[in-house]
Amino acid sequence: MPNPIAATFRPYWQYRDLVRNLVIKDLKVRYQGAVLGFFWSLGNPLALILLYDFVFTHVFRSDLPNYILYLVVGVLHYNLFSQAVSQSCESLTSASGLIQKIYFPRILVPTSSLLFTLVLWVVAILILVVLYPFLGGIYHWGLLLYPLILGLYVAFIWGIALAFSVLQVEFRDLKHLVDIALMFGFWSAPIVYDINVLKPPFLEIISMNPLTQFMDLFHALLYAGTLPALNHVLIASAWTLGAVSVGMVLFRRKARHLVEDL
Amino acid sequence: MPPAIIVEHVSKEFILRHNRAMGLKTRFLSVFHKNKREKREHFLALDDVSFTLEKGEALGLLGHNGSGKSTLLQIIAGILQPSKGRVITNGRVAPLIQLGVGFNPELTGYENIFLNASLYGFLNKEIKRRVKSIIEFSELEHFIDAPLKNYSSGMQMRLGFSVAVNLQPDILLADEILAVGDQAFQDKCLNKIAEMRRNGMSLILVSHSQEQVNMFCDAFLLLDHGQVVHRTK
Ligand SMILES: Nc1ncnc2c1ncn2[C@@H]1O[C@H](COP(=O)(O)OP(=O)(O)O)[C@@H](O)[C@H]1O
Ligand SMILES: [Mg+2]
Repeated sequence: MPNPIAATFRPYWQYRDLVRNLVIKDLKVRYQGAVLGFFWSLGNPLALILLYDFVFTHVFRSDLPNYILYLVVGVLHYNLFSQAVSQSCESLTSASGLIQKIYFPRILVPTSSLLFTLVLWVVAILILVVLYPFLGGIYHWGLLLYPLILGLYVAFIWGIALAFSVLQVEFRDLKHLVDIALMFGFWSAPIVYDINVLKPPFLEIISMNPLTQFMDLFHALLYAGTLPALNHVLIASAWTLGAVSVGMVLFRRKARHLVEDL
Repeated sequence: MPPAIIVEHVSKEFILRHNRAMGLKTRFLSVFHKNKREKREHFLALDDVSFTLEKGEALGLLGHNGSGKSTLLQIIAGILQPSKGRVITNGRVAPLIQLGVGFNPELTGYENIFLNASLYGFLNKEIKRRVKSIIEFSELEHFIDAPLKNYSSGMQMRLGFSVAVNLQPDILLADEILAVGDQAFQDKCLNKIAEMRRNGMSLILVSHSQEQVNMFCDAFLLLDHGQVVHRTK
């Protein structure tokens, strides 16, 4: 083996089509029988945007300019987090039939579950791409950074998904707790509100939330039309590194004896 | 030539967790109720098992229910980790602990072939090359585009068996699966395995039938409560 890094990843690379087939299976099962299939994924965010548009132009008014865009950017990115994390809890326990019968790298189970969520989400975000200029979005060169920032965010989510997938095997109530926590999580980051309106104790608390950092990045790029502040990128990267490290270590430690506990 | 499988002093201890607290409620109750508390019992499913399987050889595994045959296969396949000892394998191992692992009832037979085969580490382009012979062997040409939920259980097992044997493994680990479909198809399966054996495949066959073991295997191990109590050579 000339390259130790290549040697580490070879066993996973060998199984790349397994991941692909698992994701395709989930998509087919989800949409089987639904004539409009994929398009249902577009309906949800479209309804969301129309609803917000109605409520926040006719019922409430916000001080933020282009508030709908601010809200939609935050909500869509939070949805990715909450759907992926909630699904990850059951990824291993629901794949016990596979895991007990054949060996393949176990990490591919929560990973393909995350990719499935991501594929559905990317379809949903197409609505935002179409409506972006109408909601007041600005086209600028900084948007080219968006895939990188999204990649960082997905890696952060992946780390958490790995951890929760193995913890669920031990604590079968975890998913219920996580689903409740995710409802609070929505309000623990600046999605509906602007962080600058917060008063001191709350400002500090909310800033400690890693999601706040990511929301700042997405708002900067997609709402304000500016480059994100470098220190926000660095803090978000540190959170990603932390989440991935914890997730991988926990997963490696638990994965060896996973079969016996399922 | 290195042997196909070396099993060295393998022991496997399971921890049986009686009253295992799966949820918060039971965890909470167990603080107050002694009899609801989790009791752990160590159980030795395999006790110092060693053998070597040369390339091209076939070994039968016999033993009563619960004697540890499936556990041994799972350890050789890498699904379970041994508590002591180690296993070395040379070549592509195809565990057949169950036919059609990963089959999804909503997908068609054709789609399930790809799902099942990729669990064995095959790429889709490699599967595509074999898919014709898989379908041919299964004799399910007319049903292959129908969802698996419309198959009888015998048809599903036929499809699973066809995938496994057409992946051309170097080592086949078969756990009581040679009772597939009707008599004609069973004979076909046995013939196929005999043919693969002639082409150099190594085999471990778990079976209840001494007759089947005698027909296929050069040697056999008899397990009893996790220990090898008899072996032929
Ligand atoms: N995951 C497990 N946890 C606890 N005990 C197990 C587990 N798997 C198997 N056993 C126990 O190990 C013993 C051997 O089982 P097995 O290998 O399936 O036997 P066989 O295939 O020979 O019938 C049985 O007593 C079974 O209850
Ligand atoms: Mg068995």
